[in-house]
Amino acid sequence: MANGNISVIKIKDILLVTVPSDPDDMTVSQLQEQVLYAMERHSARGLILDISTVETIDSFFARTVSETVKMVALMGGLTVLTGMRACVAVTTTQLGLSLDKTLTALDVDRAMEMLATALDNTEGRT
Amino acid sequence: MNSHHGGEMVIDNENDIVMARKSVREAAVALGFGVTDVTRIVTAASELTRNIYVYAGSGVMRWHTLNGNATGLELVFEDHGPGIADLSLAMQPGYTTGKGLGMGLPGSKRLMDEMDVHSEIGQGTTIRIRKWLPR
Repeated sequence: MANGNISVIKIKDILLVTVPSDPDDMTVSQLQEQVLYAMERHSARGLILDISTVETIDSFFARTVSETVKMVALMGGLTVLTGMRACVAVTTTQLGLSLDKTLTALDVDRAMEMLATALDNTEGRT
Repeated sequence: MNSHHGGEMVIDNENDIVMARKSVREAAVALGFGVTDVTRIVTAASELTRNIYVYAGSGVMRWHTLNGNATGLELVFEDHGPGIADLSLAMQPGYTTGKGLGMGLPGSKRLMDEMDVHSEIGQGTTIRIRKWLPR
């Protein structure tokens, strides 16, 4: 219920955050704040938001996620949303929510690959 | 509890939205809805209970099974809040008087098979949504 424990794991300069399965609004808001402070603390450049256990995404959740993506971008970070379940993808789209411009991946492995490539490319730029 | 046939719960704090999702999920699963329909119904319930909490402060959610030519689940969301001033406007995607996305009402209608909204200024709002089991 009050699954306030949000796991943040640091892998090189990427943070892996697992979103709890049925978070209340406060947990969702706290998650946003925790993620941003963790990005700052670890000087992370990439963020993976793993929503593979999430069963419902309503408009509040979607808005918070898309805000978080923008905020992370302002801090120079890149976010990949990963693990969205089929039933959630159907419902989110039919509800009319758009998470466009958000990078997505099927699973954490692929998200790591995406971020590694994207971050490598920005590194090489002068 | 008799959640298989129906039930009722008061919505007056944020955690009630989580509890409403849980009760509706149980009821929809027990009726035999598939995973995508369960998610649609639970998501609509999440939107409409949040509307109660955000706009009216408190209200009630009721749910029960519909039997007849077809089997379905009906959810009723009732509050005595300020009411909806312009219903046709409120049904337009993107319109909101609050800080939401304006997807709650039109989105819930798309997710369900039927939706009726009754609202009177200063009296409150009653929203009825239904989903039928595929035969």
